[in-house]
Amino acid sequence: MNDKTYRLVKAATNIISGLSMATIIVLGVAYMSFNNAFVFQDIKIEITNNPVDTTRDIEFMMIGSKKYECNSTRVYGVAYAEDGSHSHDLDLFTQQYTRNVRPGEEMPNQWHMKVPGDMISGGVYRVSMTGDFVCNYLIFTQEKSQTYDNILLIVDPR
Amino acid sequence: MDKIRNQKIAKQVERWDLFARLTPTLFLMTSLLLVVFDVVPLEYAFYIGLTGFAITAVSWWWWAIFTIRYLITVLSRASSNLTDVNDEIKIVKKELADLKR
Repeated sequence: MNDKTYRLVKAATNIISGLSMATIIVLGVAYMSFNNAFVFQDIKIEITNNPVDTTRDIEFMMIGSKKYECNSTRVYGVAYAEDGSHSHDLDLFTQQYTRNVRPGEEMPNQWHMKVPGDMISGGVYRVSMTGDFVCNYLIFTQEKSQTYDNILLIVDPR
Repeated sequence: MDKIRNQKIAKQVERWDLFARLTPTLFLMTSLLLVVFDVVPLEYAFYIGLTGFAITAVSWWWWAIFTIRYLITVLSRASSNLTDVNDEIKIVKKELADLKR
Protein backbone atom coordinates (compact mmCIF):
# COMPACT_ATOMS: atom_id res chain seq x y z
CA MET A 1 0.00 0.00 0.00
CA ASN A 2 1.55 3.31 -1.05
CA ASP A 3 1.41 6.46 1.00
CA LYS A 4 -1.47 8.04 -0.92
CA THR A 5 -3.68 4.94 -0.66
CA TYR A 6 -2.84 4.61 3.03
CA ARG A 7 -3.91 8.23 3.64
CA LEU A 8 -7.13 7.72 1.69
CA VAL A 9 -7.99 4.54 3.61
CA LYS A 10 -7.23 6.31 6.90
CA ALA A 11 -9.42 9.29 5.99
CA ALA A 12 -12.27 7.02 4.82
CA THR A 13 -12.18 4.91 7.99
CA ASN A 14 -12.14 8.13 10.04
CA ILE A 15 -15.30 9.39 8.31
CA ILE A 16 -17.10 6.02 8.48
CA SER A 17 -16.18 5.58 12.13
CA GLY A 18 -17.35 9.13 12.96
CA LEU A 19 -20.67 8.61 11.18
CA SER A 20 -21.17 5.25 12.92
CA MET A 21 -20.45 6.84 16.30
CA ALA A 22 -22.93 9.66 15.58
CA THR A 23 -25.57 7.09 14.50
CA ILE A 24 -25.02 5.00 17.64
CA ILE A 25 -25.36 8.08 19.88
CA VAL A 26 -28.50 9.38 18.08
CA LEU A 27 -30.17 5.94 18.16
CA GLY A 28 -29.16 5.41 21.81
CA VAL A 29 -30.62 8.76 22.92
CA ALA A 30 -33.80 8.17 20.83
CA TYR A 31 -34.20 4.69 22.35
CA MET A 32 -33.81 5.99 25.92
CA SER A 33 -36.33 8.77 25.28
CA PHE A 34 -38.82 6.31 23.70
CA ASN A 35 -38.25 3.71 26.43
CA ASN A 36 -38.91 6.15 29.27
CA ALA A 37 -41.90 7.97 27.76
CA PHE A 38 -45.45 7.36 28.95
CA VAL A 39 -48.05 6.56 26.29
CA PHE A 40 -50.30 9.51 27.11
CA GLN A 41 -49.29 12.97 28.25
CA ASP A 42 -51.48 15.66 29.87
CA ILE A 43 -54.07 12.94 30.43
CA LYS A 44 -57.35 13.26 32.28
CA ILE A 45 -60.07 10.60 32.66
CA GLU A 46 -63.47 11.25 34.25
CA ILE A 47 -66.78 9.47 34.64
CA THR A 48 -69.34 11.93 33.28
CA ASN A 49 -72.62 10.44 34.56
CA ASN A 50 -72.08 10.12 38.33
CA PRO A 51 -74.16 8.83 40.05
CA VAL A 52 -74.80 5.98 37.61
CA ASP A 53 -78.47 5.03 37.85
CA THR A 54 -79.96 1.61 37.05
CA THR A 55 -80.77 2.45 33.42
CA ARG A 56 -77.31 3.74 32.36
CA ASP A 57 -73.83 2.35 31.77
CA ILE A 58 -70.68 3.95 33.18
CA GLU A 59 -69.66 6.73 30.76
CA PHE A 60 -65.96 7.55 30.63
CA MET A 61 -64.36 10.55 28.99
CA MET A 62 -60.66 11.00 28.40
CA ILE A 63 -58.50 13.80 27.11
CA GLY A 64 -54.77 13.53 26.45
CA SER A 65 -52.20 13.32 23.70
CA LYS A 66 -49.77 10.65 22.58
CA LYS A 67 -46.14 11.36 21.73
CA TYR A 68 -45.58 8.15 19.74
CA GLU A 69 -47.58 5.87 17.47
CA CYS A 70 -49.24 3.47 19.94
CA ASN A 71 -52.01 0.95 19.42
CA SER A 72 -53.98 -0.40 22.38
CA THR A 73 -54.11 -4.17 22.76
CA ARG A 74 -56.12 -4.37 25.98
CA VAL A 75 -58.02 -1.84 28.08
CA TYR A 76 -59.66 -2.68 31.39
CA GLY A 77 -60.69 -1.10 34.67
CA VAL A 78 -60.95 -2.11 38.30
CA ALA A 79 -63.42 -0.39 40.63
CA TYR A 80 -62.23 -0.40 44.25
CA ALA A 81 -64.81 0.21 46.98
CA GLU A 82 -63.89 3.36 48.89
CA ASP A 83 -63.70 1.45 52.19
CA GLY A 84 -61.26 -1.01 50.57
CA SER A 85 -63.50 -3.99 51.31
CA HIS A 86 -63.94 -5.28 47.73
CA SER A 87 -63.36 -4.58 44.05
CA HIS A 88 -65.07 -5.23 40.69
CA ASP A 89 -63.52 -5.75 37.27
CA LEU A 90 -64.78 -3.46 34.53
CA ASP A 91 -64.23 -5.14 31.17
CA LEU A 92 -67.54 -5.06 29.33
CA PHE A 93 -67.53 -2.25 26.79
CA THR A 94 -70.95 -1.13 25.60
CA GLN A 95 -69.45 1.66 23.50
CA GLN A 96 -65.91 1.46 22.16
CA TYR A 97 -63.25 4.17 22.34
CA THR A 98 -61.57 5.64 19.24
CA ARG A 99 -58.44 3.64 18.42
CA ASN A 100 -55.20 4.69 16.75
CA VAL A 101 -55.51 8.36 17.65
CA ARG A 102 -52.79 10.32 15.80
CA PRO A 103 -49.68 11.22 17.83
CA GLY A 104 -49.42 14.80 19.04
CA GLU A 105 -53.15 15.56 18.72
CA GLU A 106 -55.22 16.22 21.81
CA MET A 107 -58.49 14.52 21.05
CA PRO A 108 -61.35 13.75 23.45
CA ASN A 109 -62.07 10.05 23.60
CA GLN A 110 -65.01 8.33 25.25
CA TRP A 111 -66.28 4.87 26.01
CA HIS A 112 -69.07 3.23 27.99
CA MET A 113 -68.73 0.21 30.28
CA LYS A 114 -71.44 -1.97 31.75
CA VAL A 115 -71.97 -1.84 35.50
CA PRO A 116 -70.87 -5.29 36.80
CA GLY A 117 -73.74 -7.58 37.67
CA ASP A 118 -72.49 -8.12 41.23
CA MET A 119 -72.37 -4.37 42.02
CA ILE A 120 -75.87 -4.66 43.53
CA SER A 121 -75.58 -2.49 46.59
CA GLY A 122 -73.95 0.43 44.72
CA GLY A 123 -71.81 2.94 46.57
CA VAL A 124 -68.71 5.02 46.07
CA TYR A 125 -65.78 3.50 44.16
CA ARG A 126 -62.34 4.55 42.90
CA VAL A 127 -61.66 3.24 39.41
CA SER A 128 -58.23 2.41 37.96
CA MET A 129 -58.19 2.28 34.15
CA THR A 130 -55.26 0.41 32.59
CA GLY A 131 -54.27 0.29 28.94
CA ASP A 132 -51.74 -2.07 27.34
CA PHE A 133 -50.19 -0.72 24.15
CA VAL A 134 -47.73 -1.57 21.41
CA CYS A 135 -45.75 1.54 20.48
CA ASN A 136 -43.56 2.22 17.44
CA TYR A 137 -40.89 4.85 16.90
CA LEU A 138 -38.24 4.86 14.13
CA ILE A 139 -36.86 1.29 14.21
CA PHE A 140 -38.09 0.60 17.75
CA THR A 141 -41.17 -1.33 18.87
CA GLN A 142 -42.13 -1.73 22.50
CA GLU A 143 -44.99 -2.90 24.66
CA LYS A 144 -46.11 -0.32 27.22
CA SER A 145 -48.72 -0.13 29.93
CA GLN A 146 -50.24 2.93 31.56
CA THR A 147 -52.67 3.17 34.48
CA TYR A 148 -54.82 6.10 35.51
CA ASP A 149 -56.00 5.81 39.12
CA ASN A 150 -58.54 7.37 41.39
CA ILE A 151 -61.45 8.04 39.04
CA LEU A 152 -64.53 8.67 41.16
CA LEU A 153 -67.47 6.35 40.47
CA ILE A 154 -70.79 6.58 42.29
CA VAL A 155 -73.29 3.82 41.58
CA ASP A 156 -76.92 3.81 42.67
CA PRO A 157 -78.16 0.55 44.26
CA ARG A 158 -79.50 -1.88 41.67
CA MET B 1 14.41 2.17 29.79
CA ASP B 2 12.70 5.35 28.54
CA LYS B 3 13.15 4.27 24.93
CA ILE B 4 11.37 0.93 25.52
CA ARG B 5 8.57 2.63 27.38
CA ASN B 6 8.23 5.31 24.67
CA GLN B 7 7.93 2.56 22.06
CA LYS B 8 5.27 0.87 24.19
CA ILE B 9 3.27 4.10 24.37
CA ALA B 10 3.57 4.61 20.61
CA LYS B 11 2.20 1.08 20.09
CA GLN B 12 -0.65 1.71 22.55
CA VAL B 13 -1.57 4.94 20.68
CA GLU B 14 -1.67 2.96 17.42
CA ARG B 15 -3.93 0.35 19.03
CA TRP B 16 -6.31 3.01 20.38
CA ASP B 17 -6.37 4.60 16.92
CA LEU B 18 -7.28 1.29 15.28
CA PHE B 19 -9.87 0.55 17.98
CA ALA B 20 -11.53 3.97 17.50
CA ARG B 21 -11.54 3.47 13.73
CA LEU B 22 -13.10 -0.01 13.66
CA THR B 23 -15.22 -0.57 16.78
CA PRO B 24 -18.13 1.86 16.18
CA THR B 25 -18.76 0.61 12.62
CA LEU B 26 -18.33 -3.05 13.59
CA PHE B 27 -20.64 -2.68 16.59
CA LEU B 28 -23.30 -0.80 14.59
CA MET B 29 -23.28 -3.34 11.73
CA THR B 30 -23.24 -6.39 14.00
CA SER B 31 -25.97 -5.15 16.32
CA LEU B 32 -28.20 -4.04 13.40
CA LEU B 33 -27.88 -7.48 11.78
CA LEU B 34 -28.51 -9.31 15.06
CA VAL B 35 -31.56 -7.14 15.85
CA VAL B 36 -33.00 -7.31 12.31
CA PHE B 37 -32.69 -11.12 12.23
CA ASP B 38 -34.14 -11.34 15.77
CA VAL B 39 -31.06 -13.01 17.26
CA VAL B 40 -30.96 -10.53 20.16
CA PRO B 41 -33.64 -8.08 21.34
CA LEU B 42 -32.96 -4.39 20.81
CA GLU B 43 -32.80 -3.85 24.56
CA TYR B 44 -29.84 -6.27 24.89
CA ALA B 45 -27.98 -4.58 22.02
CA PHE B 46 -28.57 -1.21 23.72
CA TYR B 47 -27.23 -2.39 27.09
CA ILE B 48 -24.24 -4.18 25.50
CA GLY B 49 -23.42 -0.94 23.62
CA LEU B 50 -23.82 1.13 26.78
CA THR B 51 -21.54 -1.24 28.75
CA GLY B 52 -18.91 -1.21 25.99
CA PHE B 53 -19.07 2.57 25.81
CA ALA B 54 -18.63 2.88 29.59
CA ILE B 55 -15.73 0.38 29.74
CA THR B 56 -13.97 2.12 26.83
CA ALA B 57 -14.45 5.56 28.38
CA VAL B 58 -13.08 4.49 31.79
CA SER B 59 -10.12 2.53 30.31
CA TRP B 60 -9.18 5.40 28.00
CA TRP B 61 -9.45 7.91 30.83
CA TRP B 62 -7.03 5.97 33.08
CA TRP B 63 -4.67 5.21 30.20
CA ALA B 64 -4.59 8.95 29.30
CA ILE B 65 -3.92 9.97 32.92
CA PHE B 66 -1.01 7.50 33.35
CA THR B 67 0.46 8.36 29.94
CA ILE B 68 0.26 12.12 30.54
CA ARG B 69 1.88 11.66 33.96
CA TYR B 70 4.72 9.65 32.38
CA LEU B 71 5.17 12.22 29.56
CA ILE B 72 5.31 15.07 32.08
CA THR B 73 7.98 13.18 34.09
CA VAL B 74 10.04 12.59 30.92
CA LEU B 75 9.62 16.21 29.83
CA SER B 76 10.60 17.55 33.24
CA ARG B 77 13.68 15.26 33.38
CA ALA B 78 14.72 16.32 29.86
CA SER B 79 14.25 19.98 30.76
CA SER B 80 16.34 19.59 33.94
CA ASN B 81 19.12 17.80 31.99
CA LEU B 82 19.12 20.57 29.37
CA THR B 83 19.46 23.20 32.11
CA ASP B 84 22.46 21.28 33.54
CA VAL B 85 24.08 21.12 30.10
CA ASN B 86 23.44 24.84 29.59
CA ASP B 87 25.06 25.66 32.95
CA GLU B 88 28.08 23.51 32.13
CA ILE B 89 28.50 25.21 28.74
CA LYS B 90 28.45 28.59 30.49
CA ILE B 91 31.20 27.42 32.88
CA VAL B 92 33.30 26.04 30.00
CA LYS B 93 32.84 29.32 28.05
CA LYS B 94 33.96 31.32 31.11
CA GLU B 95 37.00 29.08 31.62
CA LEU B 96 37.95 29.43 27.93
CA ALA B 97 37.65 33.22 28.17
CA ASP B 98 39.86 33.22 31.33
CA LEU B 99 42.50 31.10 29.53
CA LYS B 100 42.57 33.51 26.58
CA ARG B 101 43.37 36.50 28.82
